[in-house]
Amino acid sequence: MLSFFSSTEFLTVVTALNTGFIKTLQLFFVTLVGAVPLGLVISFGSMSRIPPLRWLTKTIVWMIRGTPLVLQIIALYYVPGLKGFHIWSGGESGRFTAVAVAFVINYACYFSEIYRGGIQGVPVGQQEAGLVLGMTKRQIFFKITLLQMVKRIVPPMSNEIITLVKDTSLARVVALQEVIWMGESFMKGNQGYAGLVWPLFFTAVYYLVFSGVATILLGKLEKKLEYFR
Amino acid sequence: MAILEVQHIEKHFGDTQVLSDISFSLEEGQALSIIGSSGSGKTTLLRCLNFLERPDHGSIAVKGGVIFDAADPSTQAEKDIRQKRLHFGLVFQNFNLFPQYTALQNVTLARELLVKERGGESKEEIIKAGRELLAQMGLADRADHYPHQLSGGQQQRVAIARALALHPDILCFDEPTSALDPELTGEVLRVIRSLAEQKTTMIIVTHEMAFARDVADQVIFMDGGIIVEQGDPREVIDHPKEERTKQFLSRYANG
Repeated sequence: MLSFFSSTEFLTVVTALNTGFIKTLQLFFVTLVGAVPLGLVISFGSMSRIPPLRWLTKTIVWMIRGTPLVLQIIALYYVPGLKGFHIWSGGESGRFTAVAVAFVINYACYFSEIYRGGIQGVPVGQQEAGLVLGMTKRQIFFKITLLQMVKRIVPPMSNEIITLVKDTSLARVVALQEVIWMGESFMKGNQGYAGLVWPLFFTAVYYLVFSGVATILLGKLEKKLEYFR
Repeated sequence: MAILEVQHIEKHFGDTQVLSDISFSLEEGQALSIIGSSGSGKTTLLRCLNFLERPDHGSIAVKGGVIFDAADPSTQAEKDIRQKRLHFGLVFQNFNLFPQYTALQNVTLARELLVKERGGESKEEIIKAGRELLAQMGLADRADHYPHQLSGGQQQRVAIARALALHPDILCFDEPTSALDPELTGEVLRVIRSLAEQKTTMIIVTHEMAFARDVADQVIFMDGGIIVEQGDPREVIDHPKEERTKQFLSRYANG
């Protein structure tokens, strides 16, 4: 009887991949929770009426978007140590923190540009209508602009969020034990198995299921906002 | 005493002078129509009154109190401008309703935000007043509709109710029917006419000459950023003295 793998092998691998995928999910959610609000702050910076603040923000966004994320992860994780500043604790938790910081900054910059487009796409008449009704700038943003902006940015944000699911795999460059790292480990040797190729390819199932769920949820949000135009 | 006194207003955009030496006054309960071709500065003048633009010269006084004087920085403090804006209401050419709110919410939103800051009526009272305003506009059955579910004429009437909800001293209209299909202008003009009959103090920028003549107590003809002629509407529109006024009106005579 020909069999590619035994059931104990399958169980061992899937258990390990599950552990790796939990790390992937943690990185995904930490990035979202950090980058969604930070992106808004950065977008305000890039629209600021104070020129130096605007230039500084735009330069940072250019640098972050203009260089590979993988390079940013390596730089953030190794460079402080090389300079004698050991800001990241050792081991897996230090790697996770460094990678999460790199992801939050990188994604916040991308989000900020999407937000900026969304905010500037709201007709100026909306703001003027708020002003002549005696509203403050803050009230105008939170009560009028924000929801119209959210409606505009759901499609581009969906794109970024699907990309983020898969980008988390870049964390393996500093050996963070996410799902790809875990899959590869069975090629090199893990829990008595070595030379197994299928676990690496099997990780695709995790990404597909997760991005599928994300697509459905974001589609629901888009539908929910269809009540106005 | 005049409710509004505008003196020597000037406004430049870069090198272009859009308003020069604009002076007029308005009595309480009166309606003023401003006519003139596109680019004559009518809209900019309304935007100056609502603090959407800042005049370079001149002063604006409401009920005898100077609320803006280009020569006196103490009248231009950013924190007071919000309060001063509330003397005026503005109905826009393109309505500018808030699309994510129902007709009723559009009318009540600003009032609710103001009351949150300073106290005043309860939320129920604000909603009741909002419904009454919509009923007055003939839109009682449209209170829970979203703007995109309403016709242009209905949207503009919601916008008028929204401006009235804050009880402005002076209600300004910026070409309120210009964005409407011809068959929808009547319903909006009727509403404005009934406001005039109730002695609402109004400034109406319009291209509807017959309407301006019938509704207004006073008319101003502007051209190239200056007031060319002003006075009783039947005088200015039916018997203009100035050559420029005659030329402008002749384009409407045969229309």
